[in-house]
Amino acid sequence: MNLSLNETRAMARKATRGAGYGWGLADEAGRAVEGLCAMGLDGCEALADLLTDAGAHRSAPVIDGTVWRAEDGPLCPLQTGLALLDRCAALDLAATPIALQRVACPLLIVPFVADMSRLLKVAVRIDAGGGHITILGPGAATLSDLPQVPSDLCIALSTRAASPRKLASRAHPDPAAWAVLNALAHRTYAPATEASRQAGAGAGLTDND
Amino acid sequence: MKHSAPQIPRRDPATVMRLSRLGSLHQSRLSFMRILMRRMAADGWTVTRPVFDIDNTGVGRAVYTANGPDGAYSLVAFAHDLPDALRSDRVIAEAWDATFALFDGVPTTADLDRLAANVPLQEAGRVSERELTLSRANRSVRLWAHVVGALAEGRQPDPAQIDDVGYLMRTTAVYGSGKFGAADRAMIADRPAMQAPFQAEMLSVYLIRTFVRDLVNHMARSKGGAQAVDLDPDLARRLGIGNSTGLGMAPFIVNHPVLFNNWIMAREEALARVRGVQRPTRAQLDRFMNLLARSARGLATWRSAHPIQVEKLAALRGDLDRLTARLGAAALDCDYPWDALVRWSETELSQEGQEMLVSLVLEPHGDLVDGLADCMADPISDHLAIDGSATVADTLSEARNLFGWAETIDWSDPSATARAWYVSEEKLEPRLGERFEEPIADYEQPLAPARDGVALIRCLEAWPGDTSVADLLLAHPEHRASLRRVQLARFAPYGEIRDNTLAADMRPIDMLRAKLSFFGATQFDPRSDRWVRICMYAGAPYPEDLTDMSADDWVYPA
Repeated sequence: MNLSLNETRAMARKATRGAGYGWGLADEAGRAVEGLCAMGLDGCEALADLLTDAGAHRSAPVIDGTVWRAEDGPLCPLQTGLALLDRCAALDLAATPIALQRVACPLLIVPFVADMSRLLKVAVRIDAGGGHITILGPGAATLSDLPQVPSDLCIALSTRAASPRKLASRAHPDPAAWAVLNALAHRTYAPATEASRQAGAGAGLTDND
Repeated sequence: MKHSAPQIPRRDPATVMRLSRLGSLHQSRLSFMRILMRRMAADGWTVTRPVFDIDNTGVGRAVYTANGPDGAYSLVAFAHDLPDALRSDRVIAEAWDATFALFDGVPTTADLDRLAANVPLQEAGRVSERELTLSRANRSVRLWAHVVGALAEGRQPDPAQIDDVGYLMRTTAVYGSGKFGAADRAMIADRPAMQAPFQAEMLSVYLIRTFVRDLVNHMARSKGGAQAVDLDPDLARRLGIGNSTGLGMAPFIVNHPVLFNNWIMAREEALARVRGVQRPTRAQLDRFMNLLARSARGLATWRSAHPIQVEKLAALRGDLDRLTARLGAAALDCDYPWDALVRWSETELSQEGQEMLVSLVLEPHGDLVDGLADCMADPISDHLAIDGSATVADTLSEARNLFGWAETIDWSDPSATARAWYVSEEKLEPRLGERFEEPIADYEQPLAPARDGVALIRCLEAWPGDTSVADLLLAHPEHRASLRRVQLARFAPYGEIRDNTLAADMRPIDMLRAKLSFFGATQFDPRSDRWVRICMYAGAPYPEDLTDMSADDWVYPA
């Protein structure tokens, strides 16, 4: 597949809404998936994994000092990523890294941490254990494989700078993941009815004039 | 520049952003097609036609290449033989009289073959990062038949019929910004010619107009042979390209509050600057009077059968009479005459007339106005994060500034939320329905910032004032979109419509007109409360006639 970034964003937004999230979070999911695709990562596949992991993906973090955990199930990476971003100015990552317990689809944290690094103008690292360390920005990224299963992540200031990275202008998502998102997006479309067809658009009866 | 009077502020968003006023906006110097024409003339663009391979039945392909300092852009046009039964301007249509793509550069034959397999399918096809826009157009059946018939018989068409319709073809969608596989806006946004909004779309339509003129001449020759004549250049120039638009444009201005703000704010800043001119030159005053008279001629050909627009046009004609009488009484012979005239209009003219006057007073002052075109894009809002450290108390104050007017609406009254915006599964056509009569509420699109803003205010009221909004959003992610809009309003005061977009008496055409006026559309002709036809580029010079002079004031009939 060869898609524009705008297409990935629009699809991610609708799919997230179709999966039951509110429009505000769906907007952010669209932005996050576009950001991943621009880094050359398959944000669509990560989002499809998250949205089809029924029942296990909705937990917002309970913030207990520097340890963030879910009440039950794994942490939602969208809500966790946004919570990090929303309070990044108040976090003292140099002194106290944030420990995120069991984050679902860890790749989806990456664009939010990239935004943090841009706002804070420092490099921020995501340590997934086992030597998997991802370093973000500002405007750069050193990527390592992140686990696909729920994982503990440590968010900390990076002493190493990230590598400069050219942004991709196109996305090439996994076709199966794209189909999953498409099916979820379809839930936001109203079923066709004759009344809707007649009245909803408000067009005239003929355009042969 | 004359002396500026800094005491004249921009108009209040509470005044400007009402739907009735947005639905009365007119094109201006800052409209996107006028920005494009000025740039093309100033930079000496040339247009060539390397391919025109259309058969005697009107089927085939053509390429128009526009060369500017940034490089070349090519309109790739496909002409079709469309049965009348398939002709529909709606999104649900599946065939058109002509289909187009704007190619970034000069296409090879392989590019043309690839596009030939996709562009005629429109939404069901795919284009690539080499394409900037995808669009289509349908004929005005009656004017097309009249013009081809007349030219084929060796005579010119009836000018009255040309003025009556205004165009030979009307576009029914012009997609850009990465839709259906096309290049993202980010790929072209840093090119000077593409920096202002919708320049690729406006260039597409401008080249479509040239193609349509050439096609009608070709069809007349095919039909009439040696006796056929070409369309007279003066008549051709009167022809624009139509556009037929439904609800798709309305969500756009709600979903892009910073971009929409930048359009409105540029125009309001331009107005404030012009009102601050103490003594316009004689030439500037003459220019205004000249364009006012020409506006009246444009108004004479502005036709609509829709009751809403009929009433507005009657008011506008009265406004022009009052304005002309006022100007006859030496109204401009004073300090700050534009300011005085605008103040006078606020009590004496309808909103149609007030906004036409705003556009007209900008005309003599290109030196104060035109540079604002550089401020109309939105390169930043995609990268803005919510300020989570803001307190609930401060946010509540900001939210009331933005949405306080909506607290007076009784949101429990069904008429306040009578409508719901939704997308149909039928080719994803945007539609508007009756929330309490149709099964659509579950599919509602987030296009009610006022309702949602009041819900945010209620939520904020229940939280301690010193809490951070980061904490509030963790508990209430459902208010995230509204809270973002409140923070955007810190620097984008004109981003928010100050009316209820769900109300039983809301008219979507007001939202369509606001957007279309910034494109530079004229001749607004509503077909219903949610559908409008317009004209673009009527009066504009064709590429071979484009000069700095002709690029500036073509929109006003000579």
